[in-house]
Amino acid sequence: MKVKFRLNGETRTDEMEPNRTLCDYLHDEAGATSVKKGCDTGECGACTVLLDDMPVTSCLVLAPQIDGREVVTAEGLGSKSAPHPVQQEFVEKDAVQCGYCIPGMIVTLSWIYEHAPGASDAEIRRLMSGNLCRCTGYLQQVEAVKAAMKGT
Amino acid sequence: MKSFEYLAPIPAFEYAVPRTLTELFETLEGHGRELQVLAGGTDLTIALKERTSTPRTVVDLGRLRKELGGIEVVDGILRIGALATFSQVESSPFVARYANALRQAAANVGTLQIRSMATLGGNLATASPAADSAPPLIALGATVTLLSRTGTRTLPVQGVFTGPKRNGLRPGEIISSIEIPADGEVRSAWTRAAVRNENALSTVSAAVACTISDGRFGPSRVALGAVAPTPILADRASAAMTGSEATPDEAGRVAALAAEDASPISDIRASASYRKHLVSVLTRRLILQVLSEAMAT
Repeated sequence: MKVKFRLNGETRTDEMEPNRTLCDYLHDEAGATSVKKGCDTGECGACTVLLDDMPVTSCLVLAPQIDGREVVTAEGLGSKSAPHPVQQEFVEKDAVQCGYCIPGMIVTLSWIYEHAPGASDAEIRRLMSGNLCRCTGYLQQVEAVKAAMKGT
Repeated sequence: MKSFEYLAPIPAFEYAVPRTLTELFETLEGHGRELQVLAGGTDLTIALKERTSTPRTVVDLGRLRKELGGIEVVDGILRIGALATFSQVESSPFVARYANALRQAAANVGTLQIRSMATLGGNLATASPAADSAPPLIALGATVTLLSRTGTRTLPVQGVFTGPKRNGLRPGEIISSIEIPADGEVRSAWTRAAVRNENALSTVSAAVACTISDGRFGPSRVALGAVAPTPILADRASAAMTGSEATPDEAGRVAALAAEDASPISDIRASASYRKHLVSVLTRRLILQVLSEAMAT
C-alpha cells in the first residue's frame, strides 16, 4: 500500500506492507536507526516516536497507519550541532549508560518538556514510566528534563 | 512459544481504510469473523504477533476520527466518541467535571505511549475482564451506542461484555460512542490494586458513583473489574448504599457486600480470596474518598 506521510519534517511516499510495524519500517527502511526494537510488545518504550505530536510505541503501530500523518524520531528532535534542550542536558547530566533506551526516552521527555513544563518529579516519573532503562535508576534522566525545563 | 513466533513476520492480511461510514459498513458486510477492526491497535497488534488473531482483513478506522471521535456535552449527556484516546479522555475538562472516576482510570491505563493510542471504544470491544474503563462507566450508568448498516442499538456497558475477551457486538456492528449522564451532582471515584503502579494489569479495580445530600447517599453504584468473567455492577452493594446514611460505618457495610458480589478466580496475579479482600478494601476506600470530598465542599 502506498503511504504518504511526514518524517522529521520531510514529506515521504513509500510502499508499505500492512503486516509490518512502524518500528521495523523506520529502522530498516527509512534509515531512522534511533528507533530501537526492545520488547516488541509496547512495554519497554525503546521504539517510542511522536505520531501527530503524541508519543507512541512504534512496535504497536502498523506501518500504513501513518498515512497522512506526521512522525518525529529522535533524529528529528535535534542534531549534534544543534541538540534539543533535553538532548543537551542528557550530555550535561551524564544520563546515558548503554544507550539502547535513550532515543525513545528522549522522545518521551521532549514531549514532557513541551507539554508538561511545570511537572513535579512524581508527574515526570508517571509520564516516563513507559520507557524502561535497565542501566540507570532514572535519576539523571529526571534531572536532565528538569534542567531543560528550567533552561539552565 | 511467543518468543519464537515473534521472530517471524506477522502473516499477511488485507488492509482496508474506509474514508466514510458508508464505506466502512460496506467493508464490514460479509466478512464475519475473518475481519478485525483496528482502532488504537494496542491490543490488536500484539494479538497479530502472538497469532491469537489471524484475520483475513484488517479494517483501519484511522480515517474516521471525525465521525467516531470527539468528546462533547449535548443536552445533559457526556458523549465520548469510540475513537477518543485515553490521553484525550484523561485531559478532557468535561470528563473531569462529570466523570471523575473515568478520568482517574484513563490516567492510569498502560503508559503515556499506550494512552496516546488506545481508545475507549477499543478497550470495551476487547472485553477484557480487567478493562480499566469499564468499572467507572458501569458505576456512572453509561451506555454504548452501536452502529451498523441497518441502524443503531444502545446497550448498557455491561451488555458489551459477554465473557472474557468476548463482546456482544453483532457482525457488521461497531461501537460509535459512549454516553454518560452529565450530572454535576454525581460524585465518582476509581481505584485499583496492581502488582505495581504503572503499566500493569489490574488485579482488582473498583469504581463508585453516587450523590450525597442531607447526610444520605442518593442513587449509588459500585462496579468492579477483574473479579468475574466480565466487569460487573455489584448489585447488593449498590442497593445497600442507595439511600443509606452517608457515614464511614456504612462504607464498611457496603464494602463487605461488594466482596460478596464478586466471584473472582485465582490466577498468576492473585488468589480468589485475596481478590475478595481487595474488593472490600478498595470499595471502602472509594466511599470514604467521596465522603471526604463531599464534606470539603
